[in-house]
Amino acid sequence: MNWYNFKYQYLVRFWSPVPAVIAAGILSAFYFGITGTFWAVTGEFTRWGGHILQWLGVDVSHWGYFQVIGLQGSLLTRIDGVMILGMFVGCFSAALWANNVKLRLPQHRIRVFQAIMGGIIAGFGARLAMGCNLAAFFTGIPQFSLHAWFFAIATAIGSLAGAKVSLLPIFRIPVQLQKVSAAQPLNQHATRAQRHFRIGMLLFITFVLWAVSRALDEPRLGYAALFGLAFGLIIERAQVCFTSAFRDLWITGRTQMAKAIIAGMAVGAIGVYSYVQLGMDPKIFWAGPNAVIGGLLFGFGIVLAGGCETGWMYRAVEGQVHFWLVGLGNIIGSTLLALVWDDLAPILVVNFDKINLLKTFGPQGGLLATYTMLGVFLALVLYWEKYFFARKARQALQTA
Amino acid sequence: MKSTTIIPDFRLDMIGEPCPYPAVATLEAMPQLQPGQILEVISDCPQSINNIPIDAKNHGYEVLEIQQDGPTIRYLIRR
Repeated sequence: MNWYNFKYQYLVRFWSPVPAVIAAGILSAFYFGITGTFWAVTGEFTRWGGHILQWLGVDVSHWGYFQVIGLQGSLLTRIDGVMILGMFVGCFSAALWANNVKLRLPQHRIRVFQAIMGGIIAGFGARLAMGCNLAAFFTGIPQFSLHAWFFAIATAIGSLAGAKVSLLPIFRIPVQLQKVSAAQPLNQHATRAQRHFRIGMLLFITFVLWAVSRALDEPRLGYAALFGLAFGLIIERAQVCFTSAFRDLWITGRTQMAKAIIAGMAVGAIGVYSYVQLGMDPKIFWAGPNAVIGGLLFGFGIVLAGGCETGWMYRAVEGQVHFWLVGLGNIIGSTLLALVWDDLAPILVVNFDKINLLKTFGPQGGLLATYTMLGVFLALVLYWEKYFFARKARQALQTA
Repeated sequence: MKSTTIIPDFRLDMIGEPCPYPAVATLEAMPQLQPGQILEVISDCPQSINNIPIDAKNHGYEVLEIQQDGPTIRYLIRR
């Protein structure tokens, strides 16, 4: 394979999402082993909200939520911070390589509303549950924390409501089917593609050099930055969308992303298990009503917004202005949660147990329970797919 | 400039629309075609790469061609 083929196959063309999500699952287990924390993003977004409030002169030192998640240091000195920086650079490099960066402005006012409202609801729900599609789902279930299961089930239900609402007439822009007699020429700017590719490479290499130099004096930060870069590359190149994994089950009956995510969690779980057996502590959170309510809100919000807390990151750097607003909404929503946390926590959160399945059922029992539940999820997805298309076929027969 | 030898009968211009609307509109448009006719969907939502082709296939249509060079993606789908 020559350079041109390699570039086209791997750096320009989109990657298949199934192997990409499985790779993310494997990497997230190693990420846990190396950094001691799980792949997560919304906690850091909430800290950004806290820093903005501090900058505006608000004293957040007595806010309970920031004592839970910590507000020490800065973007460049926190593991979550440098990891997210790496994700943004990875997403942006990948989008530049493929000439996929273009300012895409929202075409309708209702989409602006959707992006901000959905972002706020999702951000609030995610932080109430102590995680988003990552910490309370994709990397939370492999930590054997019961709260992630509550969150996942609630998210599925919330996303069904979100799908119903998103398809209401108010959110539907009438589209005209045009009669045509020729394909529309796609205008490619070859020089721009070349220029963007070079900028992307420069950015990528610069970041790798910076992260490696960090790894030499602060290994965990340097590795976190490199892992972030890899996560970013994966989610942009394969357009990994957790929102679609839930939403499109209901809307179009597509199950590919849901199956990929279940497979990703299955490989992640065994990796995390091995580290826990070696003595590491998994990240366990309260399995209370907060995980259920948070999941319902999150599922609804991500579908309304069109993307979740990782989804907006790569779409934002691709130039999709819609997702700048979703990201802003996420930060506002998660900061609002921090604001009301001290009132909600005693009722909904902290008086419930943090349940570690590996302790409740023992190491083998907990692992078995996790794989059994993943198997049940997969079976439900397969059943739903069959049911969805059988129902569609019946409807087609009736109208024929 | 990239072109195709396939001649579409209808076009759905979804430029600027985020997911899931390009895929939903595509699935709603297809039944309006006569069997054998071809729809051209133009989208600049990169995520549509993971939904329009699979959804079209799942719903019984044939995806003839996908051009994904640069920010705009063209799907040619036959009813």
